[in-house]
Amino acid sequence: MHSYDAVVIGAGNAGLTAATALQREGSKTLLLERHNIPGGCATSFVRGQFEFEVALHQLSGLGTPDKPFIMRKVFDSLGVLDKVEFVQEHSLYRLAVPGEIDVTLPASWSGLKRTLIELFPAEQAGIEAFLKLCETICLESFMTLPQARRAGSEDMLKKMCPHYVKYGFMSAKSVVDEHFQDPKLKSLISAYWLYLGVPPGEIPFPDLAVMIYAYAAFKPWHIKGGSQAMSNALVESFLEAGGEVRFNCGAEKILTDNGAVSGVQLETGEVVKCRTVVSNASPLMTFNELLDGQQPPLPVQQDFKSRRMGTSAFVIYLGLDCTPQELGITAASSFVYQTLSDEALYQRMGSLEAPLGGMLTCYNFEEPEAAPPGKSQVVLVCLQYGDVWNSVAPEDYAKTKYAFAEQLIDVIEQVYPKVRDYIEEVEVATPLTMMRYLNTPSGAIYGFRQSTEDSALLRERLDGVPGLYLASAWTGMGGFQPTYMAGESTARAALKYIKAQHTEVAHV
Amino acid sequence: MSDNNLLNAVAGFRDAMAAKDALAQTGSDFTEVKGAVAKTISQLHPKRLALTVTQIVEDTPSTKTLRVAASDSRLLPPFQAGQYINVFVQINGVETARPYAVASSPCERRYYDLTIKRAQGGFVSHHLLDAVQVGDSLQSSGPMGSFHHNPVFHGDDLVFLAGGSGSVPARSMLLNILHNDLPFNFQLIYANSFVDDVIYADELRQLASEHANFRLDEIISRPPAGFTGRSGRLTGEVLRELLGEQLDGKMFYICGPTPFNNNCLEQLLALGVKRRRIRIEANGAPKSPDQQAGWPQGVSLDDEVTISVRGKGSFTAKVGEPLLNSLERNGYGAENACRSGECSLCRIKLLSGAVFNPTEAHLRKSDRDFGWIYSCVAFPTEDIEILL
Ligand SMILES: Cc1cc2nc3c(=O)[nH]c(=O)nc-3n(C[C@H](O)[C@H](O)[C@H](O)COP(=O)(O)OP(=O)(O)OC[C@H]3O[C@@H](n4cnc5c(N)ncnc54)[C@H](O)[C@@H]3O)c2cc1C
Ligand code: FES
Repeated sequence: MHSYDAVVIGAGNAGLTAATALQREGSKTLLLERHNIPGGCATSFVRGQFEFEVALHQLSGLGTPDKPFIMRKVFDSLGVLDKVEFVQEHSLYRLAVPGEIDVTLPASWSGLKRTLIELFPAEQAGIEAFLKLCETICLESFMTLPQARRAGSEDMLKKMCPHYVKYGFMSAKSVVDEHFQDPKLKSLISAYWLYLGVPPGEIPFPDLAVMIYAYAAFKPWHIKGGSQAMSNALVESFLEAGGEVRFNCGAEKILTDNGAVSGVQLETGEVVKCRTVVSNASPLMTFNELLDGQQPPLPVQQDFKSRRMGTSAFVIYLGLDCTPQELGITAASSFVYQTLSDEALYQRMGSLEAPLGGMLTCYNFEEPEAAPPGKSQVVLVCLQYGDVWNSVAPEDYAKTKYAFAEQLIDVIEQVYPKVRDYIEEVEVATPLTMMRYLNTPSGAIYGFRQSTEDSALLRERLDGVPGLYLASAWTGMGGFQPTYMAGESTARAALKYIKAQHTEVAHV
Repeated sequence: MSDNNLLNAVAGFRDAMAAKDALAQTGSDFTEVKGAVAKTISQLHPKRLALTVTQIVEDTPSTKTLRVAASDSRLLPPFQAGQYINVFVQINGVETARPYAVASSPCERRYYDLTIKRAQGGFVSHHLLDAVQVGDSLQSSGPMGSFHHNPVFHGDDLVFLAGGSGSVPARSMLLNILHNDLPFNFQLIYANSFVDDVIYADELRQLASEHANFRLDEIISRPPAGFTGRSGRLTGEVLRELLGEQLDGKMFYICGPTPFNNNCLEQLLALGVKRRRIRIEANGAPKSPDQQAGWPQGVSLDDEVTISVRGKGSFTAKVGEPLLNSLERNGYGAENACRSGECSLCRIKLLSGAVFNPTEAHLRKSDRDFGWIYSCVAFPTEDIEILL
């Protein structure tokens, strides 16, 4: 029987960074992936002459080479910084609501302020105060709040994190309302909520503030070759360090002995021994289906009860036989809505009725190699909660999916009217497609619903089975930066456990 | 939570905690959705189908149609007309597989029809035609592939150029249109070498006479003496005559042997059809990769090379044999479905040495960069080591 220090289940972002960190620190690690390719969401696929990015729209946390931010350090420590190339986006996004507003925000902290003030001069004071607040909240959340928590001192908290104390658990909407009058400005500044799938009234203000500040100050990025290039680079680094990977090989069971992890049973029936498992599969799958014969520990069951299922996505991957210019594209990322009402947009995310908004990303706008010469790689997304798809009969699935695709294209065509004329390749992905490729309930792409109640600050780590660790969008925030980081930090916790086990063995 | 009290000082924290506890009162531990993901996925995209052959019909001297049903008698998964399944077989101890388009209508889910034509020098087609009997069990993948009508942009004016067994997906598309009364025009231009090669001949002619929106044009390249039908090759001139002047808005599907596909593509482009209005079905690994640009000089298809599988062993193979095939013949294998360089399932890592990736290999950029190859269409041009 093969034996490992650790088995990592799933090669999504968090699984990849966890496996790479474990192996590079000397733990003998087996990485299992159900699919033929690493990445989970962070992948690509080829149709005709096009290679489509599946999920990465804007990578955060990287910073520029001369003003680097945390992800450069993370990638460097994983041995992949020199294996990929990054491409900077120069705009945050274009927001177009026909008849109401059409604005492109620059990816620059000072430029953002300037643009907003130019457009809404009457709100200058609010704009300045709001942006300042975004910046301070970020600094407090990441620097001083952890310090104060470690010290356990309320005094420190109040002194070092005064803004966090005032705004940390306020909704994004209430803080936006406090600063601004004009509904257009409010929509414009909160547009990133569309990445989360939870409306501004239900997300904590720091979540929005971090996105605005991090993307504007540290820039949004793409990866050459797409997020697949990073997934492949991580596997390369993992293999170089001596790791073992198996594709087309799911984990069937996590085996335990006396309540602690003792091995993993593979799809092939084979059993491997290990005392540590890092599961990149959802905790629901991990505890309710993979864990052998046991009820999940009580605190885990209790935690599940206070969760709600997160959003999935409906995506149209378009290979177009025209240039971005011919399409009228002026920024890589656009949000196109039919209404300024967040609530109305959000309500539709739970139905198969025509969506009221969507996003368009044109990958070759800033990175010409992302499409063949003269052509364009364009991806349309609208977030959607997956449950509505469960009631679609299998025989109606294809019809329903194309009908919904037509409706999303209709929305986008109000701003980019030529999209349909130039289609050379198209692939439509529904929440069920996400379910198929991610193995997540309802096809969730960010884990549980990321409302204020989901905050990690309200929760304990999901443990109770010694040796079992979870790292994924489900255990913290969804998205690329958070999941890359979650895998790495989980590996550090797992490494401590592995070391302790080794010492124990040595002492017997 | 040790610092609970600490965060109580944060405005809104208590409310959030209370809201979370309230959710816990009405929420579930999700055990009721146990197995739901696996069930949903297997309804639409099962990894394997267990099939039983229920009927065999001889279509022509070189083709038979095998009707297969789910061994558990349930309905088979839905598919889009034009898609294929990959049929897994074991022949003389060798485990391999070949993709076959479904010939029957997607409206019929009690069975799939697979029309098998004898391939010259073939391996699996002989087995399916000569050894398989009614009542035998087969295994396959679920339905796959993107060679099907896509309502988002294909439109309603469809032309299918089929060569030989290339008419199989055309039949499924046609039946789908007729069964569902879709408002499409469907023209099938069907080329065969000999008159007795024409698969579904009577059925197609009958349907063409009954349905105004289906037009059938047959062409025979090697007609018998006294043949009165259309004969010769599908030249630009013939195509222009069959298609008429108005080509805008038409969608073209091409499926047949590689030379047929290349010829049709060339002719259509010459007639001014945009490449984006032409879909060509995948067609397995190329027979003559050495004719493609980039083939290394001095390497011949008959040369022998050594394939080492790290940690598992090694064997000798011919340069001209696709790597997946030689792996299978030597007791190794990789997951696969299209065996044509499109689905990526047979992706493996090349550790050393070189392979030739033909144009059929639809590799991702970063797979190329990091040495991942599609074994179904990779030709080892020197000794190689791979990771399985
Ligand atoms: C269309 C789309 C658009 C998105 N856009 C953005 C964006 O613009 N910005 C952003 O930051 N984020 C975006 N996201 C979300 C982001 O990609 C995800 O939140 C993040 O990648 C999740 O990472 P993860 O580590 O949780 O793993 P996942 O990507 O969920 O991967 C889990 C992996 O585990 C494997 N697995 C599961 N069960 C098993 C098992 N039993 N055995 C073996 N393997 C198993 C799965 O096959 C999968 O590979 C998007 C996602 C999608 C789908
Ligand atoms: S089997 Fe599909 S690419 Fe090789």
